[in-house]
Amino acid sequence: MMRRALVLAAAGWLVLIVLVALFAPLLSGADPIQPVGPPLAPPGVGFGLGTDALGRDLLTRMLFGARLSLVSGLLAASLAIGIGGAAGLAAAMQGGWIERAIIWAANALLAIPGLLLALMLLAAMGPGVRTIVLAVGLGGAPGFARLSRAAFLSARQSDFVRAAHALGAGKRWVALRHVVPNAGTTLLSLATTQFAWAFLGTTTLTFLGLAGNPSLPEWGAMLNEGRVHLINAPHLALWPGAAITLTILSVQLLGNWIARRQDGGAVRRAAMQAGS
Amino acid sequence: MRLRVVLAALMLASAALAACTPAAPPSGSLVYGLTLAPTGIDPHLNASSELGIPLSSVYDTLVFLDPKTGDFVPGLAERWTISPDGTQYTFTLRRDVRFHDGTRFDAQAVQANIDYTLNPDHHSQKAAFMLGPFDRVDVIDDFTVVLVLKEPYAPLLDSLSQVYLGMASPKALEAWGPVDYQFHQVGTGPYKFVDYVPNDHLTLQANPEYAWAPSVYTRARPAIESITFRFFTDAATRAPALESGAADIVGEVPPQEAERLAAKGGFTLLPVTIAGQPLQYLVNTARPPTDDLEVRKALLLGTNRAVIVQTVFGATSPLAQGPLSANAMGFLAGSPLPGYDSQEAARLLDAAGWTLDPVSKVRTRGGQTMELVVVVPPWGSNPEVAQLLEADWARLGVRVRLETVAGFGPLKEAQAAGEYNVIGVNLFGTDPDLLRPFFVTGGSYNWTNVQSAELDRLLLEGSQTTQDRSSRAQLYLQAAELIRDQALILPIRDYVNLVVANARVLDLHFSAQGWFPLLIDLQLDS
Amino acid sequence: MVSPSDRPAAGLLTAAGRRALDGLLTGWAAVSVTFFALRFAGGDPVASLLAQGLASSEQADALRRQLGLDLPLIEQYMRFLGGLVRGDLGRSLYTGQPVTRIIGEQIPYTAQLAAAGLFVALALGLVLGILAVGEDRRRDLPLASGLAGIATALPVAFTGILAILAATHLGQASVSDPAMVRSLGLPALVLGFASAGAVARLIQAGMQETLAAPFMLAARARGLRRGPRLLWHALRPALPPVISLIAIEAAFLFGGTVVTETVFSRPGLGRLLVGSILQGDFPVAQGLVVLSALVYTLSHVAADTLGLILDPRLRPTE
Repeated sequence: MMRRALVLAAAGWLVLIVLVALFAPLLSGADPIQPVGPPLAPPGVGFGLGTDALGRDLLTRMLFGARLSLVSGLLAASLAIGIGGAAGLAAAMQGGWIERAIIWAANALLAIPGLLLALMLLAAMGPGVRTIVLAVGLGGAPGFARLSRAAFLSARQSDFVRAAHALGAGKRWVALRHVVPNAGTTLLSLATTQFAWAFLGTTTLTFLGLAGNPSLPEWGAMLNEGRVHLINAPHLALWPGAAITLTILSVQLLGNWIARRQDGGAVRRAAMQAGS
Repeated sequence: MRLRVVLAALMLASAALAACTPAAPPSGSLVYGLTLAPTGIDPHLNASSELGIPLSSVYDTLVFLDPKTGDFVPGLAERWTISPDGTQYTFTLRRDVRFHDGTRFDAQAVQANIDYTLNPDHHSQKAAFMLGPFDRVDVIDDFTVVLVLKEPYAPLLDSLSQVYLGMASPKALEAWGPVDYQFHQVGTGPYKFVDYVPNDHLTLQANPEYAWAPSVYTRARPAIESITFRFFTDAATRAPALESGAADIVGEVPPQEAERLAAKGGFTLLPVTIAGQPLQYLVNTARPPTDDLEVRKALLLGTNRAVIVQTVFGATSPLAQGPLSANAMGFLAGSPLPGYDSQEAARLLDAAGWTLDPVSKVRTRGGQTMELVVVVPPWGSNPEVAQLLEADWARLGVRVRLETVAGFGPLKEAQAAGEYNVIGVNLFGTDPDLLRPFFVTGGSYNWTNVQSAELDRLLLEGSQTTQDRSSRAQLYLQAAELIRDQALILPIRDYVNLVVANARVLDLHFSAQGWFPLLIDLQLDS
Repeated sequence: MVSPSDRPAAGLLTAAGRRALDGLLTGWAAVSVTFFALRFAGGDPVASLLAQGLASSEQADALRRQLGLDLPLIEQYMRFLGGLVRGDLGRSLYTGQPVTRIIGEQIPYTAQLAAAGLFVALALGLVLGILAVGEDRRRDLPLASGLAGIATALPVAFTGILAILAATHLGQASVSDPAMVRSLGLPALVLGFASAGAVARLIQAGMQETLAAPFMLAARARGLRRGPRLLWHALRPALPPVISLIAIEAAFLFGGTVVTETVFSRPGLGRLLVGSILQGDFPVAQGLVVLSALVYTLSHVAADTLGLILDPRLRPTE
């Protein structure tokens, strides 16, 4: 019962921030970069969530921040899922030396911790939000390749795939028509975890000050700005920090629920074990 | 008769006693917080003002600038004369000075230091330029040296009063070379250089042999035995460091935090005005749309500078009024900048052909959107100021792209690439000649890309007028008016360094340049 | 026929050997990826120095020759590998100091923090995991397992900030001064807390699996009551996967230390890495990435080998 309530709450939060991200300009009349009042105003007195150090409305910045943070996380996750998923599928379907090469490459890349891989790319290409998205996306690809390969493999072992092969179907056709849909729910669960990881990655990198543009209303960057005024005005850091945490928690809860619903989590667990 | 003799003897005795009373040996230690991690800390070669904070107590200079009178007083040089044509400076040096490694300071040392600074392979970023149109050093005898210039150069004494032309041991310079010397610095100052780990710490230790303190120092010998400098490049860490006792003195404390600490008790807030250029933004005349004078004027009028200063700095900083701060030599309060007038700014932009699109709220001209690239350095609250500039200009319908760079090196790199309309940079110094590299044609800091024969003439004459201070000031006033009329700069605030010290720290004084603490004067309340 | 008692030792050695070789190859691959990625994606570090006025064009050319940037890429790669084997990671672009020295100066700080964080992760994870075993999801409030779940979701940045807030209000001093050992407490707690969740889950899963096994039921039938001895018997088989997890967590720990060091403003490799990225000190950044790739691979190999030793079930059957 409790679990169900939690999952509903998680879904509700995610729906809320997606709506907020879509309709941010309508929900708040103000411009996130324009000062609207005295700096460091506390929440409540005229400004819903208070103002930041330059007098900008925190509620507006949180609303627009939802947009930026979510989009960055989604783009990075999509990159990781796209590249990693394609590699995982190729490995699972082709087998042989292709599979060995892909596994080996993924392992090599995984030897470099994800955040480090992202930082390395930023070292080479210079700071910036686009680079952050690219870096986090590429950094997540090897891990997703390994996990998705396990999921595709186990889907490939299923009965109707074998039947399709027996009937003479070609590999690519089998892949698209049977393996991918079969692995679907496992993939969905893996994808949600990937999104949580990507979202954490992009907000961490902006938190470290690697976004390049200081006025960006983005939750990670706002969390960093809040550090200077932690004692005077803790609400500057609390709103973005809580929002980031709730988002990650919700995505994880939802991912767990999806996994549990489908197959008791067995395939997912197998994938995770194979992946580690 | 005998009474008189006795009295005289007593007076002599007490005088002798007073002269001989040994000062208490230096004791205690303190931690001083630095706020920038320079890429190099050799004052002969590197330009950072942060390096001067510890190192101006490791080195002595030929002359010192008295912050109260604005005159130059003897340092390592006992006296000096300037030739009538202003090209020859003859210095008579003290004979009793020893470097920290025991070697003697003499005229040959002066020559070695200047050679080291001017060596083209060493790429001195500041000190070499401070010597101006330098010709050569003539060593007359062991303690007489002549610095010969190709042309008169008024700022020379001011240059020689700064740590960048401090005197280092030639033996150490020779032994370590330009790359490693910064880790093994040897001077003659009240503090000895012990060790340096970049971005971690730098340690100084009192020099027990120090006996040649200039009159700008209150004490003759250091009171504190050991001073450790730690880096607090992250602004969020400075107030907590003071509160936790991790640092005893920290500069550049964020304004709200400084005020909080001052109100809290147990801390002293010392606002120190820094002479030189104000926190400012240079406007690039070589890149559209800022190549248009009307656009530049509009930007100046459309910037609410007073509100920006109030928001970011509170009441701690005065609004800047020109290319030099109010306390710099050569500033004349004659030509204030126009105040905030967004309507006039909008009118100027309309007249220049940039019309406001009612839907996108951005101005366009011939299908092109009006976009400005602003390059922002990370120090001195520049990012906060830049964000408010963006807000002001967005209201005018100008789209702004902010790009922060991580340090001075990346700033120069971005500038060299040329893709900027507005860039933030300012140098500090007590001589108004520091404007010259910024505004003469081809100057090394001419980031506005201005080419004005009139400015060239005014600034050159200013550098050569050695005799008459007020006529020199007039030249700079005219230059300031030209700069204002061409809308080349957006001056924001006169730099005030908010230094906060633990209440047990006494006698924290700063040099005439503002950045450099006189460590020898410091005492700890016991 | 070989006696059974000889076989496990031989099996262990080959398995360990294979793991080591695998680790070596992976490490080499990771390092190579680093090299090529940085070369392709990055700009010319010498041009950067030129633009900053730190070098004349002759010096730039000399520096290019010295760094080998004028050589074909393959040769540069060989020089890089050669230098790596010798322990030479190049020199900082700005200070000219050897990268190994620069990194070496910062290692103690990060190592301290990582070790303390790992200790916290294990201790806290163990406690939470054991507590979670006894929970009945349907009736009790799953506090311990819930806490474990939240621990993994909380970004270290936020936990760190909350911790600083709490510490300030409670009057705690000096979280950033590395000279004071007690200043390590809070950052280590924050760092370890995030990993503790994963450790707790593994322990809980492993113990529950063991508790349901037939030999356990038999033991309990023989009179082994619920208590510390039972827990210990259930705990032992659950430990080997935790060892493996430590290796994976080493990766997280690295990322976590970067953020923790930033939040608490402590010196260390994290600050060095972010700083060298922002300043464009390319050799230092490269050296750090290479080093951590090697350390990560090594810890994986070590963890796998340890796992082999501790848990016979993981050994290859002949």
